Amino acid sequence: MSTPTPPDDLRDQLGELLPRLRRFARVITRNVQDADDLVQTAVEKALARAAQWRPESRLDSWMYGIMKNAWIDEIRARRRRERVHAPPEAGEAVGDASAHARDIALSVQAAMERLPEEQRLAVALVLVEGQSYKEAAELLGIPIGTLMSRLARGRAALQDMLGEVQ
Amino acid sequence: MKFSDEMLMAYADGELDLVTRAEIEAGMAADPEVSRAVERHRALAVKVKAAYQGVLDEPVPASLASLAAAPVAAPVVSLGAERAARFARKASSFGWGYPQWAALAASLALGIMVGVLVMRGPDAPFTGTSGGLMARGELETALTQQLAGSMGTGAPQVGFTFRDRSGAYCRTFHLQREAPLAGLACRAGEEWRVQVLAAATERADGLRPAAAMPMAVLQAVDAAIDGEPLDAQAEKAARDAGWQAPPDVAE
Repeated sequence: MSTPTPPDDLRDQLGELLPRLRRFARVITRNVQDADDLVQTAVEKALARAAQWRPESRLDSWMYGIMKNAWIDEIRARRRRERVHAPPEAGEAVGDASAHARDIALSVQAAMERLPEEQRLAVALVLVEGQSYKEAAELLGIPIGTLMSRLARGRAALQDMLGEVQ
Repeated sequence: MKFSDEMLMAYADGELDLVTRAEIEAGMAADPEVSRAVERHRALAVKVKAAYQGVLDEPVPASLASLAAAPVAAPVVSLGAERAARFARKASSFGWGYPQWAALAASLALGIMVGVLVMRGPDAPFTGTSGGLMARGELETALTQQLAGSMGTGAPQVGFTFRDRSGAYCRTFHLQREAPLAGLACRAGEEWRVQVLAAATERADGLRPAAAMPMAVLQAVDAAIDGEPLDAQAEKAARDAGWQAPPDVAE
């Protein structure tokens, strides 16, 4: 029952990708611990399914898709268990930053946390991870028009919460 | 307004074809409100991205790094020099602040937050240097001088000694501060670099065999160890030789 050994170049690329996967996970889970658990789950899944990965395709998109699915599974499982989601630990979510930059980051993160799941995913993929509309729509399994409408609604909501940008 | 918000958003994101782009640019030139709407989209995009940029600079937890680094059967923990050096660079001249300690603790596999705030000051057992987190004071003394199994009370205790894959000597230790701590330190030049630090549970009799090591430390040992732990004789010889890594012996 041993799985085939994933190719080393997949491991290498995954290793390089970890910081970005953690960032994406942080956006969608809104919680440091959940985020790293999600990355771990996704990396394990990716290694187990290494045969499905085509070296010529984009590993980041593939991983974001795995993470998105794993997170949705996790949310559903939690709802089934009727467990209340732990409040996000905003303070932990900040890396190096001046106090001012940190305040802004915190308020943006707080606003992001209040977005509905599907809007947050769209914003995370396009604005944070820099995926194109097409890539984001494909990995979310929705038409581009739907992606754009979620993205636009998410941005409008963020704009409202954050106030007018100078 | 002639353009939908989604169109302006797509323009700001660089997602439009040439023709539509030209139309919008004409619209921006004619109507400052269109320009402002595009600018709002761009500014928000920058803000959102910047809000999460810090995550990229955070150290990747060893548990994740090891997962991607090697086959599951033989994980390699790389919570080593590079990451420690990165911590140290971030630390300002007045020493490690709370965020660095928190980051270190968070990076230690289990994410146990130990009572590290008390571990600063002149008798602190660690100090952040450009080479990583180095043992100091009584911990450094114990790592350098103590033979495994010699039990002191309260003082740092060395668990066992082994050589890592690079040949350097590594030693596990227990330490009593605010809370009981356990960790792994490896020889780096003339110092001991702390690789892992985790909260330990204390046994009623005060003895802390290897089995009482926190999982994070045991995992780090498993990942780093080359062969078996040193026996008492080899350990003593290594100590007497100043913990210099002997040249590699061909198997």
